[in-house]
Amino acid sequence: MQDKNILEVNHLSKKFGENEILKDINGTVKSGQVICVIGPSGAGKSTFLRCLNLLEKPTSGEVKFEGTDLTHVDGKQLLDLRERMGMVFQSFNLFPNMTVLRNLMLAPIRVKHMSEEDAKQTAMKLLKRVGLDGKADAYPSSLSGGQQQRVAIARALAMNPEVMLFDEPTSALDPEMVGEVLEVMQELANEGMTMVVVTHEMGFAKSVADEVWFMADGYILERSKPAEMFDNPQNDRAKDFIGKIIEAK
Amino acid sequence: MKKNVKAIIQTILLVVTLLTVGLIQTNSAAAADTSLQRVKQRGELIMATSPDYPPYEFQVNKNGKSQIVGMDIDVAKKVAKDLHVKLVIKSMNFDSLLVAIQTGKADMAIGGINPTAERRQSVDFSKIYYSGGQSFLINSKDVNKYKSVKNLRGATIGAQTGTLQYGLAKKRIPNSTVKGMDKSTDLVLALKTNKIDALGIEKPSAEAYVKNDPTLKMIPSGYHLNKNDVGAAIAFKKGSTSLVNAVNKSIDQIKKQDLTSKYLASAGKYMKVNTVNTSMWHYWSYFAKGVEYTILISLISTLFGVIIGVVLALMRFTKQKWLRGLAISYTEFIRGTPLMVQVMFVYFGIGVVINIPALLSGIIAVSLNSGAYVAEIIRGGINSVEKGQTEAAESLGLTKSDMMRYVVLPQAFKNIWPALGNEFISLIKESSIVSIIGVTDLIYQLNIVRADTYRGVIPIFVAMVLYFVMTFLLTRLLNYYEGKMKHAG
Repeated sequence: MQDKNILEVNHLSKKFGENEILKDINGTVKSGQVICVIGPSGAGKSTFLRCLNLLEKPTSGEVKFEGTDLTHVDGKQLLDLRERMGMVFQSFNLFPNMTVLRNLMLAPIRVKHMSEEDAKQTAMKLLKRVGLDGKADAYPSSLSGGQQQRVAIARALAMNPEVMLFDEPTSALDPEMVGEVLEVMQELANEGMTMVVVTHEMGFAKSVADEVWFMADGYILERSKPAEMFDNPQNDRAKDFIGKIIEAK
Repeated sequence: MKKNVKAIIQTILLVVTLLTVGLIQTNSAAAADTSLQRVKQRGELIMATSPDYPPYEFQVNKNGKSQIVGMDIDVAKKVAKDLHVKLVIKSMNFDSLLVAIQTGKADMAIGGINPTAERRQSVDFSKIYYSGGQSFLINSKDVNKYKSVKNLRGATIGAQTGTLQYGLAKKRIPNSTVKGMDKSTDLVLALKTNKIDALGIEKPSAEAYVKNDPTLKMIPSGYHLNKNDVGAAIAFKKGSTSLVNAVNKSIDQIKKQDLTSKYLASAGKYMKVNTVNTSMWHYWSYFAKGVEYTILISLISTLFGVIIGVVLALMRFTKQKWLRGLAISYTEFIRGTPLMVQVMFVYFGIGVVINIPALLSGIIAVSLNSGAYVAEIIRGGINSVEKGQTEAAESLGLTKSDMMRYVVLPQAFKNIWPALGNEFISLIKESSIVSIIGVTDLIYQLNIVRADTYRGVIPIFVAMVLYFVMTFLLTRLLNYYEGKMKHAG
């Protein structure tokens, strides 16, 4: 089980007009692995993550999810594959026109055709897990950023995904709220969830990741265990980047 | 830029197609003469008239019920009786009468219509059933100034648009300025408020006004006219020879027995009934009916306008190029043409193919029109929903239609609610245009009351207050829901 490839990326490239954001990216994410993607802004980290569930359509290359190439399916089949990948955004993107509970219930009911009761039960369980079962009937706008992001994680989990993609989940938060979100993510990792996390939280990467990928200029320049990446990076760009971060602290 | 050019071309193509279809239909409609046969088979004689022209035709409030009466109506009743069929009256603007018979909305049109040479080119006429002669109405205070028609040289003269009086005033009164309006009631008001110096009008009508209003006087026109040009005749669609011949038999009898004198006398009696009580309270049922129809039209048109608008807006977001093109062309075309023309097109134009009643035509036209505007508002609303929302929905595996239904449209509607409210309010006001095809909305009823009471201004004021009350209440209602939506996140 541990060795099963959940995600496999081969020769992925993405251009916006003339601007090449991703250049020949390769990589594999195995079941249960937590991958943290770090690097300077403009490196293409978010674009890479968004290519994984085809929110961005790659210009060329393959993105295989459990062996199926996503770049060559569309319509119903793409939706079927997507619902098995959860995504958490920097700006939460909760649906403001629904209560917290409804945010969690919408996709299970509409996509998985779950019954109203079952969906509610699952939703309440997940809300409890992120410590927000008391906010089930609140609207997102009445929650703090940290709470909204925890709801967003619960919403993605409600679809019972096989992999969770996090796109800088704490970047839009006030500093005092970062902890509560990271805590939830850490628990998830401990439970064995496969995760790809684009983040600037080096502490989190260091303690939770199985592998850290360093990206710059559209390439993955180095991938190593967290200890090596932070204590003894090989690539010059990585050295420079990590050196600056340690200095800043 | 290229996109624009394409949209324009598509729009032009659409227009051309519509026109071509229209022309083909018009041509094929001119077949053998079955006019009489059709009326007999149907058992009904459908007559178009413009009941704002006493004593020819006007509305009275008889035992609380509104009724169209007058000399012309008696003539038509006699004709229907002789044909052994039922008379059905359709009321509309005078301008629309001839169009109505040309497009088959009615079998004949009556309304003090003078069978001039120009009109004979487009419709057939019966024999003349009445010759009233021409005259001018003036203000009593001007009696010394305008002793005869010679004094009208250089004056401003009013006449109903599309009538003989209009043409005559233009041709026969030297240096005069002729002002045309749709309704004789408006013209009388213009005269009384000195916007015009004299009003060219048929003698029986002039007499009716003078009897009911001491501030008005009448002077003879002094025109020397071909008798064929001045009398009143019934108009038919070209080629209705069999029906015309049958009607002419009745007219022969009317003339032989001088029935028009009798008809005029009874019309005079009705007019006395009418002017006994000219308080607006007495006419509340007229206004109530007008409000009822205005609300009915606005409500249904709003509903369908929103449905059409949503469909059009969604078409703009599909991958199918032709669907997008169709939606763009439709919106551009509707926004580029006046609602008035659209109303007439649905009623008269499409009416050639399928006979749509006036009320339904009005609702269809107003809905189609509103749909185009609502579509643009909704499109703006959809664009205003953050991209993150659709991405979140996509990442959860929601289908496009579920995403629209549960995530995008609810938020879009909340954002555009004020703009949508504006559209609904202007719909109430703009729906008044349906009065031109005879839908008894508030404007139409307003004109009827003005014609009945010989009072020009007060009914306008009443209608104004009623419109304001309607839009004000709607604004309150919309604000209430806006507040409610705000509460919900």
